[in-house]
Amino acid sequence: MTVPIGGRGPAGGLTRDRFAGLVLVALAAFIAWETRVLPLGTFREPGPGYMPLLTAVVLGVMGLVVALRGGGPALRDMSWSEGRHAAMLLAACAFAALALERIGYRLTVIALLVFFLGVLERKHPLAVAVVTLALAFGSFFLFSDLLRVPLPRSPWGF
Amino acid sequence: MTDTLSNLFLGFTVALSPDVLLFAVVGCIIGTLVGMLPGVGPLAGISLLLPVTFGLNPTTAIVLLAGIYYGAMYGGSTTSILMRIPGEAASVMTCIDGYAMTQRGRGGPALAIAAIGSFIAGTVSVVGLMLLAPPLAAVALRFGPPEYFALLTLGLLVLAFLTGGSMPKSLAMAALGLFLGTIGIDLMSGFFRFQYGLIELGDGIGIVPVAVGLFGISEILLTAGQETPPQVQKPKLRDLPPSREELRAAMGPVGRGTVLGFLIGIVPGSAHVISSFVSYALERRLSRHPERFGKGAVEGVAGPESANNAAACGSFVPMLSLGVPSGPIPAVMLAALMVHGIAPGPLLMQQQPELFWGFIASMYVGNLVLLILNLPLVGLFVNLLRIPYAYLYPAILVFCVLGVYSVNNSVIDVWIMTVMGALGYVLRKFDFEVAPIVLGLVLSPMLETALRQSLAMSSGSYAIFIDRPIAVGMLAVAAALFLVSFLPALKRGAGWRRTIGLET
Amino acid sequence: MSHFRKFMWAVAAASMLLVPAAAPAQDAYPSRPITMIVPFPPGGVADQSGRPVAAALEKILKQPVVVTNRPGAGGAVGMAAAANAKPDGYTILMALSSISIIPEADKLFGRQPAYQMSQLAPVALVTADPTVLVVSADSPWKTVEDFVEDAKKRPGEISFSSSGVYGTLHMAMEMFAHAADIKLRHVPFSGGGPALTALLGNHVQALASGPGPVIPHIKAGKLRALASWGEKRLDALPDVPTFKELGYKDVEFYIWSGVFVPAGTPEPVMKVLRDAMRQVVEDPEFKSAMEKLQTPVVYMDAPEFQKFWDRDAAMLAAAVQRVGRIEEKKQ
Repeated sequence: MTVPIGGRGPAGGLTRDRFAGLVLVALAAFIAWETRVLPLGTFREPGPGYMPLLTAVVLGVMGLVVALRGGGPALRDMSWSEGRHAAMLLAACAFAALALERIGYRLTVIALLVFFLGVLERKHPLAVAVVTLALAFGSFFLFSDLLRVPLPRSPWGF
Repeated sequence: MTDTLSNLFLGFTVALSPDVLLFAVVGCIIGTLVGMLPGVGPLAGISLLLPVTFGLNPTTAIVLLAGIYYGAMYGGSTTSILMRIPGEAASVMTCIDGYAMTQRGRGGPALAIAAIGSFIAGTVSVVGLMLLAPPLAAVALRFGPPEYFALLTLGLLVLAFLTGGSMPKSLAMAALGLFLGTIGIDLMSGFFRFQYGLIELGDGIGIVPVAVGLFGISEILLTAGQETPPQVQKPKLRDLPPSREELRAAMGPVGRGTVLGFLIGIVPGSAHVISSFVSYALERRLSRHPERFGKGAVEGVAGPESANNAAACGSFVPMLSLGVPSGPIPAVMLAALMVHGIAPGPLLMQQQPELFWGFIASMYVGNLVLLILNLPLVGLFVNLLRIPYAYLYPAILVFCVLGVYSVNNSVIDVWIMTVMGALGYVLRKFDFEVAPIVLGLVLSPMLETALRQSLAMSSGSYAIFIDRPIAVGMLAVAAALFLVSFLPALKRGAGWRRTIGLET
Repeated sequence: MSHFRKFMWAVAAASMLLVPAAAPAQDAYPSRPITMIVPFPPGGVADQSGRPVAAALEKILKQPVVVTNRPGAGGAVGMAAAANAKPDGYTILMALSSISIIPEADKLFGRQPAYQMSQLAPVALVTADPTVLVVSADSPWKTVEDFVEDAKKRPGEISFSSSGVYGTLHMAMEMFAHAADIKLRHVPFSGGGPALTALLGNHVQALASGPGPVIPHIKAGKLRALASWGEKRLDALPDVPTFKELGYKDVEFYIWSGVFVPAGTPEPVMKVLRDAMRQVVEDPEFKSAMEKLQTPVVYMDAPEFQKFWDRDAAMLAAAVQRVGRIEEKKQ
């Protein structure tokens, strides 16, 4: 631990840990607020709201400790160079969640792989087509037809 | 004793005939394939293929199912080690050091040690199961909610040794995991906590989508977008088997993991998930170089993998001797056995010895076939890493979506995986460890339920924890553990705060 | 842009492939695979009877019947999925008694109901097992009378385990407690298995359970059965009286499983399914599977099953209302 005590970043702004700690405190406050609709019960008979509130308190206290200790580089110095790519991948996962039961497993996989290989990684179209079709149909055949894992089909039975 | 041996011999003569052996091999291959899908472990593997076995005779059917069971258990560790995708909660700890070993080019040895450790743990546990099932079952029954609560408290304290990072950060993550575990319908009152209009959250947030998201997806998010793609590994033949030092380092953890896992496994309930966490923490605590953990320590693979397998085997003790399934996997096995005419229960061994011993023998055979099958396959699996990352990660993502979806056939799980992937990515950027979240999520529902069941049993009196010898014993151990582990850390924490107070 | 063209091409090619596959949809039902939703995880009661039914249906209908487990919220997730599925006969549901409890519990908590019972139409009852009241063999109670007398002496002190709050086993016990006018202490567990383990370990004193799991323990002398919730005595336990015999007129309860389809399924499709189910229960492989699971097959065709279901649902609704919201009663 060679981080300067007090956690003030070099530029005087928020440090990484101070920011993270404060976010955790805010999250804890939110959870505590949301438990208000649940009966709390008593120490001797904890109700459904007891445990969530307790975890929120621990989370808040620990968040506060993390924030007070500070540490890490300044928030603005953190590198997010892979962030754009990561966001695209997450968007693709979200697309999969939306598409899976609407257009079926095979079409979803084809769309995903064309996006990953063709758009993100800019591979040769022929390679994209071969990998995409092989993986989409191969995995469906293996898991659905041979191993009988029920996988979603599109409304057209595909 | 001679009876046992002759019975076992009888079981083996059945289990080792050529056609039965063929089914064992087929079962192991199917199981390995199914198990490699994240989330689709032994549970799904057995239940999906159960109807296929309806037409077979009981012995071949059970050997086939035992093969699937062991194959699926092992298949999960392959993806954990090579791609950092835990197939189930118990594989989470394997991910950490297994994947770190892969990154250092020791993926082959990691897989081999996982296979050998699983084999030893499986075989030793079956011996334990065979010899000790009835007396152990009696002990297992004494585990009611208060004892369970004490055991889980011990499991929670394991946190102190789980990670090498900052203690407040680990505790904050554990609290987050514990909170996530409270989502869903409250078992004790029927209240739906944090529903937000999604009935799919009723049984709580699944462990598989959280583990896959936090570990697997976050790893891809961190790696795929880097300017320089990760080096393609070209594993050489001589790098496949583990070195002598690695084997020697693995032996102790395998032995301890086996005993620990088996003991935790016989407790009725789903506590066996924590065995791999406890084993990892134990090895890290015992190690003279705890700083190696998280960076590819062999012990961090050998211990949890053995513990996990031994625990799964231990969970058959209450199932076979009481006829009570103690978790989802034994429940499926129980159903499978019953369909084939084995009705586990207190009278199984007396009434149907040939079936009982057939089952035991098939477990030995399944274990052995798996080892023979998988050691050569290590080479094949490791060669998956030769695929350039630009092709590998899209495929991994697709299989994550497929696997997570098929656990419950629910797109909500795919959403949870996506959100957890994003969360894991951000948390790791902020230097938080994600393993405590999974531990918290695993423990939370069990811990809360056990506490409230105990209090329901005693109508609100905490004396129930003191009146019962097993519970009070374990709580005493927990308190001692707390003092030796957390106190120094908290003292240091207080020191920090004081300094800060002085400065600002 | 070439990737997108490629994608469109793939989509186009895919839809071409679909044409021949989609055409036979006009033919007689069933012309493509049928999905059977089991709203519980693998290994549960519904799964255990669902898979043999699916295997037998497959032989009779000459189409694959794919079992899809959709667990969650005590079965609400899968049942809601079936209730909202297209009523074309290609989605069927294997449900348990809890199908009538969930909408009631939703009402109790003022929640948006996951589904309405009217969204589902019964096809056939497959199994029905009366629950059995069991206590430890070491307990002082030899008869229901002993039990009730003791419970009256110390209200709220005798504890029982259940498969979960508002679960079937809880409701069975609640019916008995209401009829006998006694107060018991409830310790819910997550499922019938853990509830039974708790009784075997003497952590609770009583349990209402399906006969299958407890009969081996009764035979082994670990548990004692006091009474059953059935209309007549169980074949496996001929010495155990029914609550009806003992004068508790309305205490009748079964853990049943049955096949449902979304309401509005066309009559010809219904007929095919009902005929198929009639053959399923006669199928030797199905019968032997159910025998080994120690679950007696009790078959009822749709009209009869509808009547049975209506009566059962009314009783369960009343029981849920009586239990009420537990947390609020305490305060």
